[in-house]
Amino acid sequence: MTAAAPAPTPAPETVAASAGPADDASNRLLEIADLTVGFPTRDGTVHGVDRLTLNVGSHERLGVVGESGSGKSVMGLAILGMVLPPGRFMGGSVRWKGQNMLDPAVAERVRGREVAMIFQDPMVSLNPLKTVGAQLRELLRRRAGLRGRAVRARCIELLDMVGIANPAERLRAYAFELSGGMRQRVMIATALACNPELLIADEPTTGLDVTIQDQVLTLLHDLSTELGVSVLMITHDLGVVAQFCDRVQVMYAGRIVERAPIADVFAEPQHPYSLGLLRSVPRVDRDDEELEGIPGEPLDRARLPSGCAFEPRCPESGDRCGQAPPDLAKITDRRWVACFNRSAPPS
Amino acid sequence: MLRWLIRRVIAAALVVFVVTSLVFVLTHVFTDPAAVSLPLEASEELREARREQLGLKRPLIEQYGEFAFGLVTGDLGESFWQQRPASEIVRERLPATLKLVGGSVVVTVILAVPLGMLAAWRERKFPDHAVLGFSMAFISAPPFWIGYLLIIVFAVQLDWVPTFGSRGWTSIILPSVAVGLASAGRLAQMIRRAIVEELRQPYAVTAQSRGFSRSYTITHHVFRNVASNFVTFTGWEMTRMFTGYTVVIEVVFSWPGVGLMAFNAIEQKDLILLQAGVVVLAGLVVFTNLAIDVLRRTIDPRVELR
Repeated sequence: MTAAAPAPTPAPETVAASAGPADDASNRLLEIADLTVGFPTRDGTVHGVDRLTLNVGSHERLGVVGESGSGKSVMGLAILGMVLPPGRFMGGSVRWKGQNMLDPAVAERVRGREVAMIFQDPMVSLNPLKTVGAQLRELLRRRAGLRGRAVRARCIELLDMVGIANPAERLRAYAFELSGGMRQRVMIATALACNPELLIADEPTTGLDVTIQDQVLTLLHDLSTELGVSVLMITHDLGVVAQFCDRVQVMYAGRIVERAPIADVFAEPQHPYSLGLLRSVPRVDRDDEELEGIPGEPLDRARLPSGCAFEPRCPESGDRCGQAPPDLAKITDRRWVACFNRSAPPS
Repeated sequence: MLRWLIRRVIAAALVVFVVTSLVFVLTHVFTDPAAVSLPLEASEELREARREQLGLKRPLIEQYGEFAFGLVTGDLGESFWQQRPASEIVRERLPATLKLVGGSVVVTVILAVPLGMLAAWRERKFPDHAVLGFSMAFISAPPFWIGYLLIIVFAVQLDWVPTFGSRGWTSIILPSVAVGLASAGRLAQMIRRAIVEELRQPYAVTAQSRGFSRSYTITHHVFRNVASNFVTFTGWEMTRMFTGYTVVIEVVFSWPGVGLMAFNAIEQKDLILLQAGVVVLAGLVVFTNLAIDVLRRTIDPRVELR
């Protein structure tokens, strides 16, 4: 099974093909194939992401869900060709419109201009010693190539776009003078400064008040529609995914275990882990279900089982599960699941 | 800001008061200035006479009052050795010490900032290891030994600069390097570590995710944020220079500063002059710390006004 190489013509059946707009290979912006990022530890190498395959099409909102430690954030940075030391790329490819993002020269050109990322904690993700204006101007001059009066005009336009009142005044503010929601808006403005085509949002609402979370999500949703920006939403929160995304991939232990259109996952989760995730979320629209946690403990990433990583916690584990990890396999037209018990289309 | 500054100055004055009082206790309670200033075989009568002459027969509290009043008015007592006011001698010697510490700080910063940045930029690569190697060599070599080495190579063999004293501007180079190398080694490692840690901060990751290179992120984002650490650490090195290195290096280079003066005062058993030297150096240390606080406050608006 060879993974998605840059295909000028629509490939008939690649393993990377999936539901949604990214099915059409000519429409693909981002193609990740078999990506592995390793972190050396005393107990051996831990794979932050493990043979990860994922595509994002243009005008798509894709969610990646998983618990903390599942490798989501590592994946987000890896898309930009970045890995925090001591981690390193151990295999696979990340292609942006066919260009190799693991080539530092390509990555440095694309970062911020075509793919921009917003981060979990807006409290600390803005430079504490530079004003909002200074951070925007720096980007516009050095990355977008604007000069002179256009810079200030664009600064104000950007702040206005993300719903900040009195933009001219706010340009002089430092991050610590702004509220959390405001900071995340500024963060989004800096991400959009160079008109990127893909926005990676790594837990963009974690740490914000619930009402502010909703505002920020709505803002992101509207902006992505208005500007035609694709969004890769990385989150642990299924509610965020439900509200925001067209398609979702569920991640466990650095691997994708399920990939499906959003409605299908919520209606009928296939992978036992997805099922567990859904059951552990309180729902106000149903009262017939007991709230459950997922049994067992979150994975010790240094001691992965030889079989399916979820096997020790899986209520349905069988004989095969402990032997080798299952591959992501297509079970219906728009659905991919990595589970031995689901390999055949459900009858 | 003004109220904060006033509080800091009062705190600094208190520290000076405590330190000078300690010095007084050391010289007047634990030692006998009269006995020290006389030969070992001096008779008890002679010692009594000297005690009388120095006013040591009066109650301790009275002596302390005189000492404290003298400090405030700039009177540090009379040197036995030179038979003139200690304050006069200190005033003559102070510029040389300030020059030496100034030169040493320049050497320290000029070496440490580029080396630290280089090491952080090429973390875990050859330049990083090379900088670490040099730093360790600088730190572990005793300054007096570096001083002699420098004299042998640059003053004796190459004859580029004078071997000792403070004649001409070139004479400051060798002692400054001798004092500054160890500080530069420590400071370079501190800068490297601060930058490497700071590069993992979300805002620095964000900057790089926007396409700014590692070197640009270091120079334009991270360095300003480690600047207050940098100022603090440079200040510490400076206080270290005042209290330790300058004494050794002034002796090695016969540099006519307060350190050499204190050394000579010990040789001459001139407790009053030694006391004057200690008080002045302690005052410089306290003043340096005050200056660090003010500078940090100016650089980083987040430093709390405590």
